[in-house]
Amino acid sequence: MSSLRPEENITELLRKDLNRGFRLLVEKYSSKLYWHIRRLVILHEDADDALQNTFINAWKSIDGFRSESSLYTWLYTIATNEALALINKRKKNATVPLDDLESFLASSPEGSTWFDGDEAQVKLQNAILQLPEKQRIVFNLKYFDEMKYEEMSKVLKTSEGALKASYHHAVKKIEKILGED
Amino acid sequence: MKKFENIPGNNPFKVPDNYFEEASRKIVTATAGSDNEIRKIGFFRRFRPYILVAASVTGFILISYTALRLLSPSRSERILSEMVADQPEASLLYELDMFSLEESAAAITFTEDNSGADASEIIDYLLSENIEISEIYEKL
Repeated sequence: MSSLRPEENITELLRKDLNRGFRLLVEKYSSKLYWHIRRLVILHEDADDALQNTFINAWKSIDGFRSESSLYTWLYTIATNEALALINKRKKNATVPLDDLESFLASSPEGSTWFDGDEAQVKLQNAILQLPEKQRIVFNLKYFDEMKYEEMSKVLKTSEGALKASYHHAVKKIEKILGED
Repeated sequence: MKKFENIPGNNPFKVPDNYFEEASRKIVTATAGSDNEIRKIGFFRRFRPYILVAASVTGFILISYTALRLLSPSRSERILSEMVADQPEASLLYELDMFSLEESAAAITFTEDNSGADASEIIDYLLSENIEISEIYEKL
């Protein structure tokens, strides 16, 4: 029986059999990465595109992956970059800004199809959308993904102290917005 | 307790049925299509240091061999020089000529018997007597 952790098993398998290792990697992380991307880009079709791009970029640079950094943080970094690239692309072309959830969902043909939140959840998502981009990412990673600051620091290339401060400010802003409603 | 922590069910986003199975299948299919190209690059990257070392060694050997060929005497020259080295006496004879013979003869201290004769006259005389030039040289 192997004493390796699941992630070490994938890393080892990637060295021995690239195709099998990568298939395992996709199966293990696609769901987590999808939800991380989805909370940032909001629309399902955008999240789907960004998820595929994430894994294709990971595949292309798998030779350059250094085993000293974890697969988990490496993939989250690629996914975050893909999501931000897509948001910036949308900003240039979209007529509806990404700061009002219902309007934004309504701007897409299938936007409302894949959202099923009640009034309180819409308010929370709207409050999160009011945050600056970096704070929004930090809040999502901490609150929804329950990522440790140490790992988040590797994903976002930011000090743990700065991330804690960022999360603290994000929480205060969200509370203030929700309190005003 | 934070206000938003009272909001139930934190994920209002939905996905189509079997989305993750389908998404994984699409991703694996898309990447498997580019397998060969990526593996080729990986192979070259992996063996690049060895290829460079092999190329350097081959280049060094070629340059050394060419330099040795250019700087050392050719095979025919070497054979000839070996033949010459084997026959030192004969080679001296080839270099004998009348001029050097007369010079050698002039250096001789003449006795009373031949004191009146010129060196060239002696040599001419000896040659007229069909004595070999090599013998004349030996006597002198």
